[in-house]
Amino acid sequence: LPAGLSQWFPALEVLDVSGTGLAELGAELLALPRLHTLLAKNNRLGGPGSLPKGLGQAPLGRSLRVLNLSGNRFAEVPPALLGLRGLQSLSLGGNRLHGIPPEIQELRSLEFLYLGGNFITSIPPELANLPSLSYLVLCDNKIQSIPPQLAQLHSLRSLSLHNNLLTYLPREILNLVHLEELSLRGNPLVVRFVRDLTYNPPSLQELAGRTIKTRNVPYAPSDLPENLVRYLSLASNCPNPKCGGVYFDSCVRQIKFVDFCGKYRLPLMHYLCSPECSSPCSSASQSSTSQSESDSEDEASVAARRMQKVLLG
Amino acid sequence: EEQLVQTETWKAQSLQELVRILHRIFAEDKLSVEEVQALMESYDSNPEEWLQYAKFDQYRYTRNLVDSGNGKFNLMILCWGEGHGSSIHDHTDSHCFMKILQGNLKETLFAWPEKKGNGEMTKKSERVLRENQCAYINDSIGLHRVENTSHTESAVSLHLYSPPFDSCNTFDQRTGHKHKVKMTFYSQFGERTLC
Repeated sequence: LPAGLSQWFPALEVLDVSGTGLAELGAELLALPRLHTLLAKNNRLGGPGSLPKGLGQAPLGRSLRVLNLSGNRFAEVPPALLGLRGLQSLSLGGNRLHGIPPEIQELRSLEFLYLGGNFITSIPPELANLPSLSYLVLCDNKIQSIPPQLAQLHSLRSLSLHNNLLTYLPREILNLVHLEELSLRGNPLVVRFVRDLTYNPPSLQELAGRTIKTRNVPYAPSDLPENLVRYLSLASNCPNPKCGGVYFDSCVRQIKFVDFCGKYRLPLMHYLCSPECSSPCSSASQSSTSQSESDSEDEASVAARRMQKVLLG
Repeated sequence: EEQLVQTETWKAQSLQELVRILHRIFAEDKLSVEEVQALMESYDSNPEEWLQYAKFDQYRYTRNLVDSGNGKFNLMILCWGEGHGSSIHDHTDSHCFMKILQGNLKETLFAWPEKKGNGEMTKKSERVLRENQCAYINDSIGLHRVENTSHTESAVSLHLYSPPFDSCNTFDQRTGHKHKVKMTFYSQFGERTLC
């Protein structure tokens, strides 16, 4: 791009340099104070220096709202763009990403995130710290599981997960009350009921942690090594309402099926603190298949009330 | 199945002309699938002529009514953002023509699930439709899923359904279970429909 760009066109608001073979977006863009939309799809961006240094602090960094870098060669989310605190829409579809950096949470204004068509294998829980995210596209990747923290994305209206390697979803997905669209086709989702009671007995550290939490033993950060303070903060609540217990690493995983609007069944992973606990809406711990199916019906009506349209298969 | 009475070679020079010829063909009540498909293909997509109907939604594909065909057919434009796709669906005993106006769409054909079946639906074939190509389907041919598999380009398609219908069945690929859904328009005749 010409070096005098920001001098000749200081009022530039939208710039589309898609399909021009660019290998880097240079510093000549930094001084464009009114540029809110930058489209650079289908280029040769991806090497180091693809984006100009100091992007987050430059006038461009403050004005940019929409950035489309789809169809390029990025193997990682370029660190330079993580400083774009005003960015509302980011597309890195069709690149070569193998992961998502936890620093993605610094894009505080992000509403639209398109990461379809990459090689992403897992999702960092920090993604859930984006308070305004309403559209998240993760289709056509290699994702094996969804972190339950994703349910904290209260603004999420559309979640695209099709063509990945998911076998189940975390039950917390039911908490996404504003979710209107969910695509799950092309995943090896477990179809028939699976009772998978994999239980590793808790460690002494786990048992001590549980006791501190359930008995409300007071402690201050100065009382414990930093790693244990952090460990205690990661306690998860047992979903059994009658239990009130917590667990850390040792939990029972159970797949339950929830019928959405009477249409289909989604395998949801339930975590319980012990095999004796049972999820809400399920009665005996030793349920037969037919019992569990009817358990799913109760949970189905709860889920159906919350989730609206689900695109499955 | 309609008898082929005469094969006319139509060439629609514009979207407006396409609509005019469609009205004439459908007034005769002697539908030839080949004739309509050839007519749809003959129209060289010109975005200036249909941009007013091409209203995109961020979250999912949209259906935008262009012409209601005097009750004989519905002509509509569908707008597909990157990664947008449909569920597997049937066509409520109607003819369905689908012409690509911009971009590409992948069509995957499925066999009807067995009545007592409770297993994964059978994929029959798939193909990518390119600009200006026109595909045809009806319930006797099978079911299909249509998707824009591009992560960088949006797609626009022109659909003709005869007779018009406003509900169809969607199918769960994993089990073959079907569910009736009502179809709505995102816009009609270029005006956004508020629902």
